[in-house]
Amino acid sequence: MDGFVLTLWLVRILFLVLLYLFLFAVARVLLRDLRVAARGPVELGRLVVIASPHAEPPPGSTFPLDAVTSLGRDVNNAIVVDDPFASSEHAVLTFRGRAWYVEDLASTNGTFVNGVPVEQVAPLGFGDELQVGEVRFRLDRGRG
Amino acid sequence: MSGRWWRIRPRTRRTELQLLVLVSVTLVVGAASLGATLRYQAALAADKTVGTLDLLPPDPRALAIYIGALFAVHAAFVLAGRRIDQVLMPAVGMLGGLGLLLMQRLPQSLVSQSFGDAVLGLGQLQLAWLLIALAVIAVLAVAVRSDAWLRTYKYTWAAAGIALLLLTFVFGSDVNGARLTLSIGPLSGQPSELLKVILVVFLAGYLSENRSLLADESTRIGPLRLPPIPYLAPMVAMWAIALGIVVVQRDLGAALLFFAVFLALLYVATGRPSYAVGGVILFVVGSWVLYNLFGHVQQRVDNWLDPFRNPLGSGFQTVQALYAFARGGILGVGLGAGLPTIGGRLPVPAVHTDYPLAALGEELGLIGLLAILGLYLVVVERGLRIAAAAHDDFRAILAAGLALVVAVQAFIIAAGNLKLIPLTGITLPLISYGGSSLLANALVIGLLLALSDPGVEPPPPPRPARRWLRRPGRRAARAGGVDAPAIGDAVLPGAGR
Repeated sequence: MDGFVLTLWLVRILFLVLLYLFLFAVARVLLRDLRVAARGPVELGRLVVIASPHAEPPPGSTFPLDAVTSLGRDVNNAIVVDDPFASSEHAVLTFRGRAWYVEDLASTNGTFVNGVPVEQVAPLGFGDELQVGEVRFRLDRGRG
Repeated sequence: MSGRWWRIRPRTRRTELQLLVLVSVTLVVGAASLGATLRYQAALAADKTVGTLDLLPPDPRALAIYIGALFAVHAAFVLAGRRIDQVLMPAVGMLGGLGLLLMQRLPQSLVSQSFGDAVLGLGQLQLAWLLIALAVIAVLAVAVRSDAWLRTYKYTWAAAGIALLLLTFVFGSDVNGARLTLSIGPLSGQPSELLKVILVVFLAGYLSENRSLLADESTRIGPLRLPPIPYLAPMVAMWAIALGIVVVQRDLGAALLFFAVFLALLYVATGRPSYAVGGVILFVVGSWVLYNLFGHVQQRVDNWLDPFRNPLGSGFQTVQALYAFARGGILGVGLGAGLPTIGGRLPVPAVHTDYPLAALGEELGLIGLLAILGLYLVVVERGLRIAAAAHDDFRAILAAGLALVVAVQAFIIAAGNLKLIPLTGITLPLISYGGSSLLANALVIGLLLALSDPGVEPPPPPRPARRWLRRPGRRAARAGGVDAPAIGDAVLPGAGR
């Protein structure tokens, strides 16, 4: 009789132990996943070219972004937009805190976020569309 | 569509397989413990001596079917070859399995439904719902390869949600003083469970589209800096709908869930604590008014403050649940050894829907409860990780919202059961008995799994923001001045498209 109760008790405790074993196994997987994510190079975001009538930059190409990335027709820009409607120093993208902002550098034809002209500085969310001259970009989240 | 299937390559999912094996072993041991304890208790009650230890589960076939279904879903994922999350499904399988064990252990006559000659009891019905839920998860996770159908039709979804709510207002039937259940022919369900998924989809669409405007502070009322007024309207509407649910439907749980998820998502989207603070102030004001106006709210709060004032009447459920937790102690009394009935009556009313945590707390103890809360934590962690890895704002907010809906619901009912907050009758996600609840949570998990695939279709370009809020551009102001066109700059006519 005592053996019976003891075995029953052991089975009960085994169940609880197994529950925690499962949680432990899951925690190990999650930790590994977080480590891999933390180790990868941190890319703040990327610009994808959606449309570019003069094929410079070519449509479909992507640009990994630094915390400050300048766009314009001049060759000294991080992203050269060789478009007749782009100014030589057209706009600059900055990553401040945890969000992207676009600043229009008093360009002739303006900079547009989702079709709305940017006045000085505007926030830019992931998935938003940015237009410089006739070239349209999309801001995507970076890898990792 | 045609050329697609042959391109799918199976992809092994070792982590998921290992975790699933662990889940099945745990559930089998739990069922063995449950079966042995039930027989032991029966023998004690009949004053017979107990012979050898018999570790057969109470319903071995149901357990085998459930575990088989888990592995079938795993096989479907492997064959589909998508790179979806490997932890979520085992964690959900464990929660569902614990629910199944609990339902097999409670008196089977609690809920019964007859199909022809066969009469299905509580455990078998729960098994049936779990199988349907697993099927929903598998289909969504395998088949949903684009989120355009959620993203594009967000106002349609919102309209459908409000229609569902109105239908329940008008045609719903009252259960325990709350108008929650909608019956169409033989089918009946609780639309508020489905509504929470629709709410998250709508909010994700709305907030991701208007994120920058909501983070803006262009309107000033005294010391308050607010976003443009038209963009505040949906929020005030949301608050009013939550209050309406309390007043008309008398469903405190759903109202609390909707409003909490809404505030959390608003904070996720804008990163502004002021919204959360403002929302909480609105909530406190609304609750105070409702408390003073409505008897059913007053009763809930009074039961929470002092359930022992009327322990056999209005406070009965709360008091019995507290006793159950106390009986459980740290290690619990063991599955099957709790008090199933007292004089043919359940010790805790509605234990299978609103109070499964009290039964589990009694039988698995504090240790078991912490493990269950840990399982919910795993689901939430996965959801937030999926949100963090999402490609764009819509998917990020959607994934965060889906995870938060499960988390907030689990918190509201767990805290209610433990008398941390006033009790509001909603289900414990994935454990409670109930078709609507299981199916709605299966939708949530299935969508999360589908979103976790890094290869989902890239998001479509956003629509241009609405024009009626466009402020007069600086184009006019600029015309005469500082910004003379640089040499070679062509002027683009109508560049705004």
